[in-house]
Amino acid sequence: MLNKIYDWVDERLDITPIWRDIADHEVPEHVNPAHHFSAFVYCFGGLTFFITVIQILSGMFLTMYYVPDVVNAWKSVYYLQNEVAFGEIVRGMHHWGASLVIVMMFLHTLRVFFTGSYKKPRELNWIVGVGIFCVMLGLGFTGYLLPWDMKAVFATKVGIQIAASVPFIGELIKILLAGDATILGAQTLTRFFAIHVFFLPAVLFALLAAHFIMIRRQGISGPL
Amino acid sequence: MSNNRVSRRQFLNYTLTGVGGFMAAGMLMPMVRFAIDPALQTKAEGQFIQTSQKIDEITDVPVKVDFTFEQVDAWYKSDVTEAAWVYRDGDTVIALSPVCKHLGCTVNWEGDSAHPNQFFCACHAGRYEKSGKNVAGTPPLGPLDEYEVSEKDGFLMLGKKIPNTLV
Amino acid sequence: MHRGKGMKFVGDSRVKLNDRMPNIPKDYSEYPGKTEAFWPDFLLKEWMVGAVFLIGYLLLTVAHPSPLEGPADPTNASYIPLPDWYFLFMYQLLKYTYASGPYNVIGAIIIPGLAVGALALMPFLDKGPERRPSKRPLPTAFMLLAVASMVYLTWESVAHHDWEATKAQGVITDKDLGLLPDVEVDETSPGYEIYQSQASCIGCHGGDLAGGTGAPMLLGNELTAEEVAEVVKNGRGAMPAGAFDGTDEELQILAEFIAGLKEKE
Repeated sequence: MLNKIYDWVDERLDITPIWRDIADHEVPEHVNPAHHFSAFVYCFGGLTFFITVIQILSGMFLTMYYVPDVVNAWKSVYYLQNEVAFGEIVRGMHHWGASLVIVMMFLHTLRVFFTGSYKKPRELNWIVGVGIFCVMLGLGFTGYLLPWDMKAVFATKVGIQIAASVPFIGELIKILLAGDATILGAQTLTRFFAIHVFFLPAVLFALLAAHFIMIRRQGISGPL
Repeated sequence: MSNNRVSRRQFLNYTLTGVGGFMAAGMLMPMVRFAIDPALQTKAEGQFIQTSQKIDEITDVPVKVDFTFEQVDAWYKSDVTEAAWVYRDGDTVIALSPVCKHLGCTVNWEGDSAHPNQFFCACHAGRYEKSGKNVAGTPPLGPLDEYEVSEKDGFLMLGKKIPNTLV
Repeated sequence: MHRGKGMKFVGDSRVKLNDRMPNIPKDYSEYPGKTEAFWPDFLLKEWMVGAVFLIGYLLLTVAHPSPLEGPADPTNASYIPLPDWYFLFMYQLLKYTYASGPYNVIGAIIIPGLAVGALALMPFLDKGPERRPSKRPLPTAFMLLAVASMVYLTWESVAHHDWEATKAQGVITDKDLGLLPDVEVDETSPGYEIYQSQASCIGCHGGDLAGGTGAPMLLGNELTAEEVAEVVKNGRGAMPAGAFDGTDEELQILAEFIAGLKEKE
């Protein structure tokens, strides 16, 4: 039955090569931890992606309870963490995942650096990777404010102050980030929410797609 | 027997599905339980709320009694005012919910001059008899809900909503 | 190339090996017999690593609930902010003389900007064909130096931070949860006026008598008037002695007012 449906679709759209390309490509020995244990360093990229998936899922579920509003943000976070079943786990996954994704990405960057994998012809993929790194740091920074607790607000104050010290356009960046020239409040929170939940993830998806397509086109770099 | 031998590739595929299922379950189980929590939360039993209506002053003509209670909506607490149509039927006091069973509009006693002694819903011309029984041929499909009734110091107390017991 | 199910892949790299790319690394299809298919062989190993990782990750979330401090009060002047741990090295960097004050732009913009810029442009700064770290000493040395300084700066900030104070200033109080004790405050009493006129009182215990960072709530206290006067005069715990500015009579009225803030039975 399923086979027939598949054949029906395949006859029209020729979808087999799409997944065959992913499923059947050969993975070389030097990245396979089953052959050389030291090859575990090649797992960091995959684990980064795995946590990213967890972050996306847990974030989607958290917004079922969270409100980006100065009066209710903290209350809703307190509620979902303490009153909702598994709220502590789901928020914990998002909170600790944010840290782990940075760790894994850092380790992945170091692996790529020390194996010289960014060299020709993979320069572009390295640049995209650095872009992903910056987007992830941006996600961490904007997400830190959302619970609207004490450390969130004061850390964000400092962060915005740092952004304001950019020569010439610093003040403009500050206003655009905070939504107001002097107040860090209601408008800051909604802006950070929008950036955290819509803008940066959109950029992240585009960069990740480019990252993976390039890996498939160029293959993993050979052994040292 | 030899026809049913599991090939190496099949075995790997089964194992892969198992490990993948384990990971998906580990990730999604807490999140799904988190999402469906509102459906599984048990609300505390509704308490009786005192109204300003004196029991002695209730006649056999339905009057609208407003009552206010604190509604806890997750992290948001607010005072909510609801109303009931209250009248006396012999020795018992009846309190009916004014929420139309059709689409949730509010019904009024004798709201339509063409139909005296009936509750009338202005939205879609739904009608109910005094007992809350829906008049056949009008949109509502069931009788009006009833409130549990009690008395304290001569004042009317209203409890939780129950299905109509008079019809 | 065949279309449909009959298609076959050999090796992996799609980048054509030609003379225009002399420094392209060796294609690993040149190592026959040691590769394996991504599905299902290699993916199974990856997912087993992923499953072990997931178990550890879930255990972490159960063992350490994610922290939540009290709700934001941007007017609180005594709060010492701290960024998330992966920005701590930046935080520490900005404490140094040549990265702060008039040189702030160096620490906040130029150093991180140069670091990220250099990282992004790495393929163009290090163009040689060599890939082994030992054969390209400069990039390796710079990266090791950068990692070492980040570790050092993070370590410095952690070692010099007052974690006790951080913990104390973030505690969620009953006030945050809207659980103030049931105490009626007579705002016309002379004691209340004296309290409100003392900057040292309201600075810590708050204008609403509900306490603040490191200072207990006065509502629902369990002291007698004599004990209150004693504490105001001589201090207690973090409260300094002699903060009260007024006459002994005023102190007496204040002490009686505060001792009167008992919770209703």
